[in-house]
Amino acid sequence: MSGLEGLRVLVVEDEPVVAMYLEDLLEALGCQTIGPASRLADGLALAEEQGFDVAILDINLGGERSTPIAETLRARGVPFAFASGYGAPPEGFGDEVPMIEKPYREAQVAAALDRLLGR
Amino acid sequence: MIEAPAEPLPVGEDEFRLIADSAPVAVWVTRLDRRRSFVNRAYVAFLGVSYAEALEFDWRRIIHPDDAARLLAESVAGEVSLQTFELEGRYRNAEGEWRWLHSTSQPRRDAEGRHIGFIGVAHDVTEAKTAELALREREAQLSAFISQTTAGFAQVDLEGRFTLVNDRFCDITGWSQEALMGMTMQQITHPDDLVRNVPLFERAVRDGTPYTHEKRYIRRDGGIVWVNNSVAVIRRANGEPFGVLAVTLDVTQRRESEEALRKSEETLRLATETAGMATWELDLETMEGAWSPNRFDLLGMARRPDARGSFEEWIERVHPADRERTREAALCCFTEGVPYTIEYRILRADDGAERWLQSHGNRIDYGDSRPSRFVGVSFDVTARKRAEDELRESETRFRTIFEQANDFLITTTLDNRVTSVNPAVVEAIGYDEGEILGHSIAEFMDPDQFAISMDAFNRKLQHGGSTRLTVRLRAKDGRELIWEVNSRLSLDDQGQPVALHAIGRDMTEAKRAEAHLRLLIDELNHRVKNTLAIVQGIAQQSFKDDVPPRQARAAFEGRLAALSEAHNLLTREYWSLVSMRQIIEDALRPHGEACRFALDGPDLMILPKTAISLALAIHELATNAVKHGALSRPEGRIAVRWQRLRAEGPARLSMRWEEAGGPAVSAPSRRGFGTRMIERGLAAELGGSVKIEFRPEGLVCVVDAPLPEGAE
Repeated sequence: MSGLEGLRVLVVEDEPVVAMYLEDLLEALGCQTIGPASRLADGLALAEEQGFDVAILDINLGGERSTPIAETLRARGVPFAFASGYGAPPEGFGDEVPMIEKPYREAQVAAALDRLLGR
Repeated sequence: MIEAPAEPLPVGEDEFRLIADSAPVAVWVTRLDRRRSFVNRAYVAFLGVSYAEALEFDWRRIIHPDDAARLLAESVAGEVSLQTFELEGRYRNAEGEWRWLHSTSQPRRDAEGRHIGFIGVAHDVTEAKTAELALREREAQLSAFISQTTAGFAQVDLEGRFTLVNDRFCDITGWSQEALMGMTMQQITHPDDLVRNVPLFERAVRDGTPYTHEKRYIRRDGGIVWVNNSVAVIRRANGEPFGVLAVTLDVTQRRESEEALRKSEETLRLATETAGMATWELDLETMEGAWSPNRFDLLGMARRPDARGSFEEWIERVHPADRERTREAALCCFTEGVPYTIEYRILRADDGAERWLQSHGNRIDYGDSRPSRFVGVSFDVTARKRAEDELRESETRFRTIFEQANDFLITTTLDNRVTSVNPAVVEAIGYDEGEILGHSIAEFMDPDQFAISMDAFNRKLQHGGSTRLTVRLRAKDGRELIWEVNSRLSLDDQGQPVALHAIGRDMTEAKRAEAHLRLLIDELNHRVKNTLAIVQGIAQQSFKDDVPPRQARAAFEGRLAALSEAHNLLTREYWSLVSMRQIIEDALRPHGEACRFALDGPDLMILPKTAISLALAIHELATNAVKHGALSRPEGRIAVRWQRLRAEGPARLSMRWEEAGGPAVSAPSRRGFGTRMIERGLAAELGGSVKIEFRPEGLVCVVDAPLPEGAE
């Protein structure tokens, strides 16, 4: 058991195949995927609905950045992690936000979620 | 002449009268009582009276008043002396003219020796007297003139003894007149000058040849005086020489200044020769003269013991190309006296080497008969000429670089005013030179950029050296130019900065390319990571637990191939917009001949990311058709149609995949990756809906989505 059972995870990921993979990965960890949202607008809409516990945000959303979603979550105190194929977190965010490197690995995703839950 | 009582005349009276009357002079005889007993005809004629009146005539009446007192006194004294006495004075004749008469009165004695009176004779000496007076007057004038003149006059006899000198001559020689009268001119002439002097003097005496020469006298005090003597022989009326006259001028001062000049010339000559300057003199009559030893060296000629060289020898050494011009300049100086300054080439006599000389010359004229001289200096300026040539070449070279350089070359004053720019600057910035020169560099950049420039400038002012900085400028048309500028202060001799030199290079394109490259690398990195994530996803979906490995591998390979094909197209199109039709065709190609597919729709352009999702979705549809649908039968066909819908609101995309001719279709028991990829993945990608209908006559897939980005 991962200890993450039942955790509702908002997934914002623009690449369908990758989103599906992350969804399967979360399912394997016993988590429930909210989304996945592939666009900024969809992601923002879901973020405001509050039906989740934590979020994993792909930084790059087909040319847009997921920063507004992250700001919304931070303002509301919902823990989240960034996912990216490269580099640093967006401007205005630092080490306090876990960074999940793509391609995703189950262990890394699990560790990030644990950190988001303060464990 | 008082008549005395008649008494016998000497000798026979008649004879005496006859003789006396025929004499051309006045004759008279007086007795003791002073009365005249006889006068001759000349006596009577002088008075213009009768004989009787003449005997009684009081001659005191006709004496010139100036002479009267003297003559009376002398007359009385003469008579009393009883000796022969003479008188001379002026008397008025019958015509009223004053005549000079010279009389001689002699006492008469009788046989016993007793004094019985006087006999007198008077000559008219007027002519002689007048001549004597005139001569005396001229002498006095001449004497005064001689004494007053600045020239000394000295007359010597044929042996050189002084016979006459004037005061000025005494001044000049320092000897008194008395002293000189006992000396010869040889005694006071400097021994060294006698050698020349004596032959001249002797020749003058012998042949009468006058001469002028300069010599030294030894003064009484032992000092030396230089004189210029013009000497001529003086002769008597019969042509016999009796003396030699010298007109003497004191030229000591002139000789001294000449000597000083000669000394200073000598000093100057030594100085100039030491300084590598050759000197020469040219006698313009003989066209040759003295050359300094180093002039021979300069021309590559052997030095000569007599140190003499000629004009022709020199001009022969002048380079043929410069010869005429040089000769002309020299002749111009010879004839017109125009100072001669020239630079010309020579070919040295010994090794034929070409050298550049600079010469300065002047004509020197003398007041006297001496011929003019041409004097001057020459020195070798080959090294300077070469340096000048090199400088000129280097200047030309740098000018060319300045004009031709692609780099920007700029100079400014210390207050940032542009003083020069090369054509590259003008071309780049679009302002013409007139709009740049004299203007502050601040006019060609935004304030923040000027601040950067000033910062660099101040750094150089404080620490020297050069700075390299990247600044953005504004071209005349408003374009932003990015220049990399290297600049340095130029300093004067004291090390004080006087100007700024800058070399710039246009980095606009380079910076743009650099930024683009960075973007590309970031993008590539992103895409590689993204593609790996997709591959990871495909692999994970393909290798599900319930799929047999062989089948799973085939599915994975097919999907990778579709992904790869889509990438090929994207790469060809440089990851810009790609053709939707092309993506569909490429995705279908591995699954059947083109004739089995009917594609119909406008050639919409879609984003790369959308293209990949579309390619993967088409691949899944085609794979399914090959396995279970239309493509599993030879006669099966697939139609793909799409169109752009324009209704209310934004344009939409409608697409329809429709299979026909395949086996009867039934809905699958389980929905796998393919279905999920199509219905969820593509839908998410397009932001619309994608529905698959398993109709018995054939599978239909319907897409309804906003028109994809880029397809408008």
